[in-house]
Amino acid sequence: MGIVIAVISGKGGVGKTTATANLGLGIALNGKKCVVVDFDIGQRNLDMILGLENRVVYDMVQVMEGEANIKQALIKSKVSSNLHFLAASQTKDKSVLDSKKVEKLITDLKEKFDFVILDAPAGIESGYEHTIEFADAAIVVVNPEVSSIRDADRAIGILDSKSAKVKNGEDVLKWLIINRIVADMVESGEMLKSDDILEILDIKLIGKIPEDKGVIDASNQGKPVILDKKSIAGQAYARIAGRLCGQKVDMKNVEISDAGLFKRIAGMFK
Amino acid sequence: MFSFFNFGKKKSASVAKDRLTIAIMSDRDRTNGYPFMDEMKAEIMEVVQKYVGVRGVEIRKEIDGELEALAIDVELDKNA
Repeated sequence: MGIVIAVISGKGGVGKTTATANLGLGIALNGKKCVVVDFDIGQRNLDMILGLENRVVYDMVQVMEGEANIKQALIKSKVSSNLHFLAASQTKDKSVLDSKKVEKLITDLKEKFDFVILDAPAGIESGYEHTIEFADAAIVVVNPEVSSIRDADRAIGILDSKSAKVKNGEDVLKWLIINRIVADMVESGEMLKSDDILEILDIKLIGKIPEDKGVIDASNQGKPVILDKKSIAGQAYARIAGRLCGQKVDMKNVEISDAGLFKRIAGMFK
Repeated sequence: MFSFFNFGKKKSASVAKDRLTIAIMSDRDRTNGYPFMDEMKAEIMEVVQKYVGVRGVEIRKEIDGELEALAIDVELDKNA
């Protein structure tokens, strides 16, 4: 039986889909069988980030409605045979989701995969509640910026009240990813430190992702940035994927810029 | 770097932390209830009203570390 992880955020545009794609691929590259499911119905995007938009034939709503079976709808990644993808419906709206059908889909996927990763719609929408209801764990993605953090707190609140696990008296695991950290802004006191964000949200950290232009370059090409070994964001996702697979990976401090060090070295050759 | 005008001025990250702490605390106050809060309020009001006039009932869920409590304020109606 696999573990179900919902990737959530309060507001949109913080990098949830990018995180889902990269963690899914990272887990697969660690040798685990993983499926990523786009739950953002009506706003299909995960297919683009994974570079699989031309392969979508059936979507998850069609599977839930019994119009297609899971095998037909699962799309295998071009990069790793361990990674599969299930697309969101582009035409239907979020109201098609129904607790019983979602539970059945997730139960079926758990039997086939070690990791089931759900890309949730932005918090507070009805589709969001369906995504988190049957999750064993949630990864909360924030940017070091006030509106994203405040909205994340509300999304965590909904998670704590609507999760089936919590209703059964169990805990739903929660981990935080802080995305798009600009080290020199943190150093100069213009960007919130990760310690402050953790204190405010009262949640465990699973990784910090530095701001990296390579992320957009990767999404342009439909090749998740984790495949770019030189990318600092890609390396950060690889570390998180390792942690999710149970490896002990030290937390790298991405909040220190190497500009200071670089200047000193450059000075020696003057 | 440190201009005269910036001296003593709070860095924006610490302003953000203060503002967020306050905003999130008040958000949580509002949402950290139970779904049955309104019903419970009405019932408490009914019971107390048997004995003394009531103007309103306010229930808050308060969390202090491991301790969770319901704080119930009953405002009496002096004129009743």
